[in-house]
Amino acid sequence: MTSFLEVVILISGIILALSLVGIAYRIIVGPTLHDKIVALDAFGVMLMGMIALTAITLGSVHYVPIILLIGTLAFLSTITFAKYLERNVIIDDDRDNDE
Amino acid sequence: MNSLIAFFLIGGTLMSALAVLGIIRLPDMYSRLHATTKSTTLGVIMIMTGAFLYFWYVDGLIETNLLLGAFFILLTAPVSSHLLSRSAFHSDVKPYKLTVLNDLKRDESLPDDTDEPDRP
Amino acid sequence: MALQILINITLAFIWVLIVSDLSLGSLFAGYLIGIIPVFVLRRFLPGRFYMVRVYYSIKLIAVFTIELIKANYELSKIIISPKIDIHPGFFAYPCDLEEEWEITLLSGLISLTPGTVIVAISDDYSTIYIHGLNALDVDAEISLIKNRFEKLIAEVSKP
Repeated sequence: MTSFLEVVILISGIILALSLVGIAYRIIVGPTLHDKIVALDAFGVMLMGMIALTAITLGSVHYVPIILLIGTLAFLSTITFAKYLERNVIIDDDRDNDE
Repeated sequence: MNSLIAFFLIGGTLMSALAVLGIIRLPDMYSRLHATTKSTTLGVIMIMTGAFLYFWYVDGLIETNLLLGAFFILLTAPVSSHLLSRSAFHSDVKPYKLTVLNDLKRDESLPDDTDEPDRP
Repeated sequence: MALQILINITLAFIWVLIVSDLSLGSLFAGYLIGIIPVFVLRRFLPGRFYMVRVYYSIKLIAVFTIELIKANYELSKIIISPKIDIHPGFFAYPCDLEEEWEITLLSGLISLTPGTVIVAISDDYSTIYIHGLNALDVDAEISLIKNRFEKLIAEVSKP
């Protein structure tokens, strides 16, 4: 019942879950706000890896579009936060780039 | 083929663990950005490749959505790190004992510094 | 370059019509065989032979991957050692590229290189500000970026 691959997937799942807990430490204790945003971005990316491992364990392929969704949402929220903290607007209209 | 899948999965997990160790240990926000951009990206790419090979070898399905996710992370991780470091510099996040040079501060202001729009 | 690719695709379709075998395999074979006339007549068509650009693009992708793996190796040596001795610094890098997509490629490549992360780009795209983990020898880093990456990107973008 426990073949070589299943042991490997179990060990990977445990290590990845422990690293998610480690990232949560940096989200709570982060001297500045930007530390927390960096840690949240890393959390989202590692969550994508965790969902891929879950899809392997449960044996179903239908969990895979969730990965793309979470990746897109994490990227967009990181960019929005960064632009807002820099300049107080998110989309700035008075920049002419085409000359 | 089993060992190839195991190599990719374990390697990806160890890279992610390395990234977390870096984020906890490194002293400064800009250094933590280094760890996030490089190590997390490679770790997740390796896990996705391992999952793709697993679904191909064991179940006989070719699921290219996983490769698409890996490619998306490869494209967008440098962009978010660039925006975060620029915003951190503009908000005066203190860097670690900056031994060498600070050319950005020497050039006195960040480039493309437009005026603040009027508040309504 | 667009004209060369168009001629190649046309030759692929003509090959399908000659062989009378309407399948994807013969289309692909026709494309590969059609490279030879384009190569022979490259003097009469505008621009460089486009396979050179394809070769440099593949080389750029290989450089991306190798730099990512090397970056993780260097970062792991810094993180695992019991005492973290890093000497970070910001430095400015003068850049010669003109177009916007070249600068995007270059900044992505700098962010995936061991020890450097890009911070800001000046308004006229002439200076790139970089944060490095070991800024003790700045000139080595600048010469590395200039000689390897910028030359490769300039080769890809020459028409």
